[in-house]
Amino acid sequence: MDIIDLSWWQLGIGFFILIIPAWILWRYKTGLNKKLGIATVRMTLQLLFVGYYLEYLFELDNAWLNAAWIMVMVLVADFATIDRSELNRQRSLVIPIFLATFFGIIVIDMFFLEAVIQLPTFLSAQYTIPITGMVLGNCLRSNVIGINAFYHSLNEHKERYRFYLCCGATRNEAVFPFFRDALKKSANPTLASMATIGLVSLPGMMTGQILSGSSPLIAIKYQIMIMLAIFSGTVLSVYLGIRLSNYFVFDERDVLDSSILKK
Amino acid sequence: MNSDTLFKLSDIRFSYDSEQLFDGLNLLINQREKVVIKGESGSGKTTLFRLLLGFETPDKGSISFKGSVYTDTIIRTMRKEVVWLPQDLNLGTGKTAELMDFIFEFQSNSQNKPSRPEIIDTLEALGLEAGTLASNFSELSTGQRQRIGLACCLLLNRKVILLDEPTSALDLESKRKVAELLLNNDRTVISTSHDPWWVEKCDRVIELNNIS
Repeated sequence: MDIIDLSWWQLGIGFFILIIPAWILWRYKTGLNKKLGIATVRMTLQLLFVGYYLEYLFELDNAWLNAAWIMVMVLVADFATIDRSELNRQRSLVIPIFLATFFGIIVIDMFFLEAVIQLPTFLSAQYTIPITGMVLGNCLRSNVIGINAFYHSLNEHKERYRFYLCCGATRNEAVFPFFRDALKKSANPTLASMATIGLVSLPGMMTGQILSGSSPLIAIKYQIMIMLAIFSGTVLSVYLGIRLSNYFVFDERDVLDSSILKK
Repeated sequence: MNSDTLFKLSDIRFSYDSEQLFDGLNLLINQREKVVIKGESGSGKTTLFRLLLGFETPDKGSISFKGSVYTDTIIRTMRKEVVWLPQDLNLGTGKTAELMDFIFEFQSNSQNKPSRPEIIDTLEALGLEAGTLASNFSELSTGQRQRIGLACCLLLNRKVILLDEPTSALDLESKRKVAELLLNNDRTVISTSHDPWWVEKCDRVIELNNIS
């Protein structure tokens, strides 16, 4: 079955649907219309850029180039995580969160791409880029939820944290309940989507594969694999993100450096 | 400084943002003393505790514990000998028993982890029923939470206890029980309080406005 290619003018027509949400947001004075405009323009330009770039990337299919692209994606995700977690871009956060996300992605990529799918060429662009992108996008969302919950809750309930320290806790013991809550908050959305997938929603990757002519069964096998990759990647990156940054954001007296938090 | 000196604050200057709280603060607290710190709201009572516990660092001056000037190591040692109870203890959500057990399971407390009967005895001595352990901590009244915190402090069996407004949410009967358990022994008890009843029970009253 041939896929119906979208012409540019057809895609342009698609934008008209935004009139409905834009009107609703304007009618209720949400102040979100400017944001909607900026987000739409950014989304379009970013995807156009990536589309053209990936065309070249797929054509060249060089493992080093693919790895470099993953680094760029992780770097962008790193800054986005910090900004959206309402934290300041300080070295004590930028480096550990970058390392955590990068390490999380490497573990997942190596396991699924090389051990499970067993790519014929190392880091083949056709598989590496989309799968990494999907996992990374979800890691970003979970990191934002987890890291934001952890540091802001710790700051809000610092008396409790300090009480634990004065009851003989080590720093790791004193942050344990905050860490547990952050992990729960960040893992819950993915768990919820795993529980309803196929019944309530047909995920993007599977839809894309079916639209491009794959059999639904192949699409489902990939979808199951990607859900496992997303869940493992998100938990791993939140865990590593908090563990690694904790080495840098506390002083020797176990006091949290509050300058990391946006006022 | 004699060998009985527990905390010594010398010429402390401290400010929050641009507001100066202490300038030239000197204070000696001896072991086994029952000291109460009085002062108006905003006079720096809680900040004084934070300085003593090493959660804030003075802009000028020095603090020492048992004759050793504060360093990162001394502060860690001090925190193993001292326990502090904030005014409004919030241990989060969950059963009270689990939240208390969490504290006794810290590695440094593993040697003297209290048994369930010991925990119940302490709760009862503070006027709480054993059934409180099965209640959700967040559903307890402020007074009950305060007494749970006091029970943790007592069960940890530390020689030095710092209490922030320990009787603020207690009735007279509970206050009597708390005073009986905390003040009639050789512990050092340093408290902040507005409560004339509690102030009268302590050995020494420090008016924060005067020393700063």
